[in-house]
Amino acid sequence: MFKELDPILHSQLRLAVMSLLISVKEADFTFIKEKTNSTAGNLSVQVQKLKDVGYMEVTKQFKDNYPLTTCKITPKGIAAFESYVKALQEYLQVGK
Amino acid sequence: MEKEKEFNPNESLALIESMINKAQNRFNENGHLYLLWGWTVLVCSLTHFIFLKLHVLKEPGMVWMITWLAVLYQAIFLSKKKKKERVRTYTDEIGGYVWIAFVTMMFIMIFLMSKNNSWDKTYPMFLVLYGMPTFLSGVLLRFKPLRIGGIACWLLAIASAFVSNDNQLLLLALAVISAWITPGYLLRSKYKLQTV
Repeated sequence: MFKELDPILHSQLRLAVMSLLISVKEADFTFIKEKTNSTAGNLSVQVQKLKDVGYMEVTKQFKDNYPLTTCKITPKGIAAFESYVKALQEYLQVGK
Repeated sequence: MEKEKEFNPNESLALIESMINKAQNRFNENGHLYLLWGWTVLVCSLTHFIFLKLHVLKEPGMVWMITWLAVLYQAIFLSKKKKKERVRTYTDEIGGYVWIAFVTMMFIMIFLMSKNNSWDKTYPMFLVLYGMPTFLSGVLLRFKPLRIGGIACWLLAIASAFVSNDNQLLLLALAVISAWITPGYLLRSKYKLQTV
């Protein structure tokens, strides 16, 4: 089941991160961690996966001597998210 | 959300919806700059009016120089806010551009008026311009008091056609009370309620 669903997005934490980023322009790592209720370790692994497939752009910089990681969804990520939602809707319609 | 577990399309959609709501229900406006500019313009317009009536100064309009202090304060405030910012939404960005457009229009208008040395329509033009960013910010933030404030500015701009130049300063005072000061306090209390 769910063969057509993008396996990168069909994971709770990665989907949560992508849903969060789809509605904002950019967000820092702490904000995403707080909103998704995840641990830093798990989140950084998932963020890295999203970055590797090109769904997300990650910028690392320093702000007042503290590291700051900013995440932003890419056009490829938006397209993948949209087709994922479309596929979900199709599944749900079939189930009706 | 520690473990990767199987979840069905219904759960997926519910998760997407809840995350989008989390991002959008953030209310990022504490009304600080509305209050800063509301009070600055209110003090300047009323002082200017009083000075005109009492003939206190040769150039009562000089009182508007206070606004440069507000500009300085705003620059410091915004740079501090930017440092603390953890998320930037499309609404924040568009809202910022609306105010940049407003400030640009104000400067161009002041430049044109000083070039032609024609200051008689200054206040009505200010009122017309005040209405634009206020109304649009109300739309963007889904905050009715700002939309009402913006409309109030435009109504006062029309009213200024029937009022003497000096008394137009009072209309300006009324405009900032309705467009910036009142919504500013309401935004502040809404923001505080959210962060409690």
